[in-house]
Amino acid sequence: MFMVIEFVVLLSSNLILMQALGTSTLFIAAGNKKNLLWTAITITIFTTLGSGAAYFIKNLLPSGIADLTLLFYVLIIGIIYVLLLAALYFAGGETFKKARKYVHLSAYNCAVMGTVITVAGRAETMPEYNHFMSFVSAGAEAGSGFILAAFILTAAYRKLNSSKVPAAFRGFPAMLIYLGLISMAVYALR
Amino acid sequence: MKNRKTSVFDGLVGDNTVLSSLMVISPVIMCGTDISNAIALIYAFSAITFFSVILGSFVPKKLPYAAKIIIYAVIASLVYIPVRTAAGMFFPEVIGRVGIYFPLLAVNSLIIVQSETKFYRMKRLPMIASLVFYILGFDAVMLITAFIRELLGSGTINGRVVDADTIISGLGMPFGGFIFLGLFCGLYRAVRSAVRREENEGGGDSDVHGN
Repeated sequence: MFMVIEFVVLLSSNLILMQALGTSTLFIAAGNKKNLLWTAITITIFTTLGSGAAYFIKNLLPSGIADLTLLFYVLIIGIIYVLLLAALYFAGGETFKKARKYVHLSAYNCAVMGTVITVAGRAETMPEYNHFMSFVSAGAEAGSGFILAAFILTAAYRKLNSSKVPAAFRGFPAMLIYLGLISMAVYALR
Repeated sequence: MKNRKTSVFDGLVGDNTVLSSLMVISPVIMCGTDISNAIALIYAFSAITFFSVILGSFVPKKLPYAAKIIIYAVIASLVYIPVRTAAGMFFPEVIGRVGIYFPLLAVNSLIIVQSETKFYRMKRLPMIASLVFYILGFDAVMLITAFIRELLGSGTINGRVVDADTIISGLGMPFGGFIFLGLFCGLYRAVRSAVRREENEGGGDSDVHGN
């Protein structure tokens, strides 16, 4: 029962199904299972590390310069972006060549920035969430939500792109409608 | 000449920002529920994207890709500050409703991705023209989506009650946004391919295709 409840929570707080964040990246990556998996993992790394860093920005940034919050979030994602690329570079030439595209695709993705802003906003309205581990776990949860949505889309990807779907609706339009139906079902679970 | 014109207008019709390229779809799905939201988002998106892409065009091309992307995002988040301040004065109640989708406009894919792959490969004047039409492409879809979803979802037009027989309240929800945008996208593609087919049939002899 615990697992079912956790699954429902993961679905109902899903950043794609409930907030439409990172949808276009999901569609682009969905064409290839390997791409999708690596994109989802990279996004999870960004959301987790980014949310952890957002904790310090939220708590250390003086309220007088709150207008600069977005700039600091952008800078922190930029630092993670460079660090990840550097880590891949030092891991080896082949790994760097293969994996850097996922880092480029994920860095300033709506899913990443949206998660960072959402997590910080939640801590603002609910102070009980204003601690480091809460930020990190929320970031990781958002990333796992992306992975879950990726699996849901992969399950129907071939059919949504098949010749049985009218040409005008084949691909992206059909995927949007499909995600809408899944979103509606998840909405009913809330 | 004809080809050049077509490519400049692409963002509005032929390669619409939202319906064709699927860029910046989350604000349309989540916030395109009424006209007041749409107007605030159109203002913010247009101002942030226009000034960010123009300023970003001065970034040296020789820099590594990742460095350029970070600089574009930093420029956009700096442009966001005055835009957000002005929005607070003109649309104070909409800002709260729109929530995270307002700052997210500063890292939209038109600035982060499209600028590098499309705009900065063009000369400055055609780039500005093309950029304006890509922005208008988003604006048009946002406005049409908000108008239809507000009318059918709430039975109002810009907050004024109209005599609507049927209210589909689900249209105001995120899932309604997904489904509506999917249908809109399919309709757009059907019309676009019909027009292109007609153009090819009608002007087949006179058209000169460079490629």
